[in-house]
Amino acid sequence: MKVSELEGLGFTCLQGEFDDIELAGGYTSDLLSDVMANLKEGQALITIQAHKNTIAVASLSGAAAVIFCHGRSAAADVLEAAAAEGIALFSTPDNQFDATVKLAAALGA
Amino acid sequence: MTARIDFHIHSCLSPCAALEMSPRAIVAGAIARGLDCIALTDHGCVENLPAFHEACAEAGLPCLYGMEATSSEEVHTLCLFDRLEPALEFGRMIYDAIMDFPNDPDRFGLQPVVTVDGEVTGFAEKLLFAATDISFFDLVPLALNAGALCIPSHIDRDYSGAVAQLGFLPDLPYDAVEVIAPNPPPGADKWPVVHFSDAHCPDDIGRRCTTVETDAYTVAALREAFLRQLPQ
Repeated sequence: MKVSELEGLGFTCLQGEFDDIELAGGYTSDLLSDVMANLKEGQALITIQAHKNTIAVASLSGAAAVIFCHGRSAAADVLEAAAAEGIALFSTPDNQFDATVKLAAALGA
Repeated sequence: MTARIDFHIHSCLSPCAALEMSPRAIVAGAIARGLDCIALTDHGCVENLPAFHEACAEAGLPCLYGMEATSSEEVHTLCLFDRLEPALEFGRMIYDAIMDFPNDPDRFGLQPVVTVDGEVTGFAEKLLFAATDISFFDLVPLALNAGALCIPSHIDRDYSGAVAQLGFLPDLPYDAVEVIAPNPPPGADKWPVVHFSDAHCPDDIGRRCTTVETDAYTVAALREAFLRQLPQ
């Protein structure tokens, strides 16, 4: 499944400057220390932590995409950081569980 | 005396703060905005406090020595001392407790330690806002027992505050709670409410501040002053 195909799950793309690579899986967490320790390259991060540090942490792990749940939007500095890092950014009204289930099903996980 | 205080200000040491936030620039900004007493509260590190102490002393501006500690649940908490030495001791203990995760300056920002003249003497190695292994429930008594004023940061913000990270505001003996909106969220009215700037750049210094009636700029006097703000 490619990053751009996340839109097919009902996720709204907020930042479209990214490499449309094959997703290596997903990781769901709202604790940045946990994300720092466990997010893997090429994964999509599902979280409610919709701020700039999330993007920095995700990019450091080589994440392909970040998905903000509960309809959380991205401030200008968040969009800017994501564009600079080439990380795709999505928002969904889903909660973390539902977003995770959708992604897992699409990945055939 | 009536005092306008801003006890939540970051210097260039915090990765997310502007590099022009040198101790002297902070003091100049505080004086320009008519603040009577300020505190330096960098994330997880106290190494700019000695330069801040000098900058305040040369300008005759009263100050507190603080830090914004991050609990294991990533709750940000202001710990404020009225003397430099205990602040350094407490702050270094907090820094040691931060997870072993090096800062990446390109992504998070530089973390320079500076002199009062703004010369860079080194850089904090760990990512300063990263979590410590100290639970919020232990951090609060730890700070209070070390002689600090303990004030959970921005409890009404949707990230990095007690309510955002824990889901609720635990019933702990805070000296006050820092609130961003004009009014406190439900359930926070049992503590004194304070508004500070959380300044990360010079223009933000004093954008929010609190007016208190206090006898002195000591932990004991300010604790009393905050308590007097509660409805009787």
